[in-house]
Amino acid sequence: MRTARAEAHVAEKTRGYRIKKNFQRNWQLYVLLVPAIAYFIILHYIPMYGVQIAFKNFIATQGIWGSPWTGFDHFTRFFESYYFWRLLKNTIILSAYQLVLFPLPIILALSLHEVKKTMFKRWAQTLTYAPHFISVVVVVGMIVIFLDPTTGLVNRVIVALGGEAIPFLTSPDWFRHIFTWSGVWQTLGWSSIIYLAALSGVNPELHEAAKVDGATRIQRILHINIPSILPTIVVLFILNIGSFMTVGFEKVLLMQNDLNVSTSDVIQTFVYQTGLLEGQYSFAAAIGLFDSVINITLLVVFNYLARKLTDSSLW
Amino acid sequence: MKRFSLSDRMFDTFNTIFLVIILILIVYPLIFVLSASISDPTAVSSGRMWLWPVEITFRGYERVFSESSIWRGYGNTILYTLAGTLIHLLVLLPCAYALSRKELMAKKFILWFILFTMLFNGGLIPTYLIVQSLGMLNTMWAIVIPNVVGAWSILVARTFFHQSIPDQLVEASKIDGASDFYIFIRVVLPLSLPIVAVMALFHAVGLWNQYFNALIYLSDRDKFPLQLILREILVVNQMQLNDPAAGGGGESLVDQVQTAGLIKYAVIIVSSLPLLIVYPFIQRFFVQGVLIGSIKE
Amino acid sequence: MPVKRIGLLAVIVMLAGWLAACSNDDEGEVGGSEEAISNLNTEGMPIVDEPIQLEIFAGKAATTADDWNDVLLLNEYEEMTNIDITWNQVPADGLEERRNLALASGDLPDAFYAANLTISDIQTYGSQGIFIPLNDLIEEYAPNIAQVLEENPDIQSGITFPDGNIYSIPTVYAPDFQSLLIGAKGWVNGDWLEQLGMDNPETTEEFYEYLKAVKETDLNGNGENDEIPLSSVAEMDRIIHWISGAFGVQNKGQQHAMIDEDPDTGDLRFFPTSDAYRNMLEYLNQLYDEGLIEQSIYTLEVDQHLANAANNLYGAVQFFNPVELYGEEIGGQFIPGNALEGPDGTKMYTGIASPVRSLGNFVITSENENPEATLRWIDYFWSDEGAKMFFMGIEGVTYEETEDGPQLLEEITNDPDGLTLTQALAKYIINPGGNHPVMITDDYFTGSENSPLDKEAAEHIDPYLIEEIWPSFTYTEEESADITILEADLDKYISEMQAAFITGEQDFDQWDSYVETVENMKLDEYMEIQQAAYERYQES
Repeated sequence: MRTARAEAHVAEKTRGYRIKKNFQRNWQLYVLLVPAIAYFIILHYIPMYGVQIAFKNFIATQGIWGSPWTGFDHFTRFFESYYFWRLLKNTIILSAYQLVLFPLPIILALSLHEVKKTMFKRWAQTLTYAPHFISVVVVVGMIVIFLDPTTGLVNRVIVALGGEAIPFLTSPDWFRHIFTWSGVWQTLGWSSIIYLAALSGVNPELHEAAKVDGATRIQRILHINIPSILPTIVVLFILNIGSFMTVGFEKVLLMQNDLNVSTSDVIQTFVYQTGLLEGQYSFAAAIGLFDSVINITLLVVFNYLARKLTDSSLW
Repeated sequence: MKRFSLSDRMFDTFNTIFLVIILILIVYPLIFVLSASISDPTAVSSGRMWLWPVEITFRGYERVFSESSIWRGYGNTILYTLAGTLIHLLVLLPCAYALSRKELMAKKFILWFILFTMLFNGGLIPTYLIVQSLGMLNTMWAIVIPNVVGAWSILVARTFFHQSIPDQLVEASKIDGASDFYIFIRVVLPLSLPIVAVMALFHAVGLWNQYFNALIYLSDRDKFPLQLILREILVVNQMQLNDPAAGGGGESLVDQVQTAGLIKYAVIIVSSLPLLIVYPFIQRFFVQGVLIGSIKE
Repeated sequence: MPVKRIGLLAVIVMLAGWLAACSNDDEGEVGGSEEAISNLNTEGMPIVDEPIQLEIFAGKAATTADDWNDVLLLNEYEEMTNIDITWNQVPADGLEERRNLALASGDLPDAFYAANLTISDIQTYGSQGIFIPLNDLIEEYAPNIAQVLEENPDIQSGITFPDGNIYSIPTVYAPDFQSLLIGAKGWVNGDWLEQLGMDNPETTEEFYEYLKAVKETDLNGNGENDEIPLSSVAEMDRIIHWISGAFGVQNKGQQHAMIDEDPDTGDLRFFPTSDAYRNMLEYLNQLYDEGLIEQSIYTLEVDQHLANAANNLYGAVQFFNPVELYGEEIGGQFIPGNALEGPDGTKMYTGIASPVRSLGNFVITSENENPEATLRWIDYFWSDEGAKMFFMGIEGVTYEETEDGPQLLEEITNDPDGLTLTQALAKYIINPGGNHPVMITDDYFTGSENSPLDKEAAEHIDPYLIEEIWPSFTYTEEESADITILEADLDKYISEMQAAFITGEQDFDQWDSYVETVENMKLDEYMEIQQAAYERYQES
């Protein structure tokens, strides 16, 4: 008995001692964390008390703390709503579509990395990044200009080739394609930057060694470049998953009209409309909370899978 | 060796063709907007202009630059972007570096702590109340502070430090008696210019194009960034005509609205051009950073 | 350790600061202090002896000056009244967000001006005491507004909530200013009618024939078959305003998007599931399907519409004054359209709004220490003299008195620097543009609805205008909470299904399932509330 207690005591002491020692030696590292941690506490964690309004009936004069509790009423209302399944379906399809196109920037980065002519490479990079500098409002404006059923360039070409004009902007079938591919147009080059940066860190000696062994370019891409940037790919992929239910709502809102709403209505636009525009804060908060819970679940699951399968993960 | 160089050359050819196709797809809409901004508006809306400018006119630009609010918006956006990016780096880099070091305890906990904010937030009203009680309403701080750094950037930067700063380097410096501050500033940062440049650019573009915080937190027009002014200009004609009490009087609105259509393209160009011009300079810096990065090996 | 301690400290400091900020007691008493009252003059100018300051949240139309503190009217008025206003101007873009945040965060101004508060906002914040009741104050301090309410019981009842309180000063269109109440009107291309040898269509059938003829004939003579028979801007709503009367739909005016009166029984009717409504959609579907309505109508922007008009493509439009919009050459071809007669002989024009245009454009908050003076401030603009100042500006600077009444000066209507009228006026007044809490009469209004052409068009359809126009109903606190939710759901579904039926995205054999879905969206609960509100309206 006595020895066991004494041992535990010693173990605790050494653990405490280790922590103390670590702080003494590395305190500067912890100081480096302070600005970011303070920011997250003040602007993210403190406001989290606001989550409770999802379970309350928010009344402005009584504040967030003082408003009366309603339990799960807002959730029930959302789940029973006519729009629930549609919102869920649209959000998932739109996100999945974007996720499927996740490899495109990687391909572009690999391809750009292989270009030897510096001038061409620099021009190609500059030009592919360019759309990213354009704001969403403007991009949607351009979509409207190009796809207009009568005056839009695309339909003019279709009609000139003997086809029939397609009402791209008002068609529920086309909405997802237009949304996603215009997104690709805008972010393709930009998203490739991070992979290019990663590729620039690949050890050139590996390539030299492979060349000596007689590996072709494609073989070297497959066996050196891709594995080298795999950790970056995995991290970015998991992060994308973590925001799976988060679609760029501003762009959706700008592209939405009465005719395509059956596919363009997503959870976030719904939250924005009911919350900030209609002032139903509690209901909107409940939907937002539902969204967050799905995101967290997905993130945890995929991180687990990534760690099992590729050995790299977020944590 | 010759055998491989043939296949290499074929690879190069295909690769170049692939890139050229992508470039055309990406660049065409941009050329269209550029041409439209200096073409006669009726030629644009009727579809006569499809690649190069038709009946060149600079009325759109004249109108845009005669608006004092645009110049002011420009100034504000530049200020917010520079200040915001600087603060972003000051918060992001130390944190990401510390998290990349194996000596750090409770790393998992801190990572979760940060990651959680990406998934979960208290909503707009409490955030608004905090910004309000910090006295940041209607100041530049309301634009640069509330989104100063995201979990995403921290994780990416951390991964970079983790991969490209060898542990031996840090340990060697420590043995030489360098402090962590010294190592971070003098040893790690100079080796990390690519990620610094990338992160700065990512954040700067976000700041340049953001308007939501400005919409919510700013009330003085003098403080509005360019994007907010731009939105105002783009919706003016729409508002004016949908509001019955606003119908003008006694003259045709066609010219007015067509100029507005013209302004639309000019405004797109004017608001996007600074970043497009600045970018190649930063890109050179990218390349330098990459060079330094490879010399270290 | 330092991390934790600092983190904890930050939390505590923040929480303390936040709690302090939120624990303001909200015991706002209605009415100003004695001090405020003694400073007030109940009649004449200045309104207050010692200058006072007010902070007002204002929705700013894009057409008005960047800074209202530089506007002549407001500066003159400040000198007259001794009331100095700090304008917290919010552009129309973002108005709803900013307004809702101001209300939800408790960061209240002294008043909200032209901020487009919804009826449910007024009801919610009124009953919470954030907006103060104005009934007694109007009686005592706002003789001009009181007079308008007395002369127009409809307006009075339209702005009174079931608890008997008036919380807001509305935007009112003078009940005899029909051209403005109708707003955008239907116009037919008279030159083309002549070319086709047709008469101005009187029935939906003739209208269809005309549109079809436009579609098939090269009336603009450019050698291309590019004529667009019927167009408008802002989706299908405006066209429906023109057509719906022929089907007896929405027969109590534009304030109610889903209910009207059943012509057979005289009861309240939910019309989007009625046969009449279905007939209307079938008619519109026929027009759309045969390409008689501009195919891009659901995304059409004003500039595109005007560009098409400039190319002389339109056979008929439902929009504002064509001469002003398209210019004399193109716009001059258009003549006022008729109220159309439907297949079953129904002939009425329902596209007209209630004089109580919108309720929520002037409310006084509980923070305001000078509610009497604030109310007097707005009341002056409801007097004849004040209205003239509000709409026309200052005599000798912007207008002059002539035999035909006040006229804007030549240098304003025909600005030497090439500014449009609206731009030229922006330095002097805060109109046109924006929903001002005043009464708009044809005496001083400078917008296009006051033009002779518009007035002619309004007279043209006058015999068929519906007699009774329901104002927006008001709800009790309890009803308000429910109906906001129910209406949001219904409205969203119905407007998207309307579009789907018209464009053929949805077949009419799906009609029954559409009706069923609507009924499943708690339609009976919705109608119960509307019925109660309707009965209250009838009693008043």
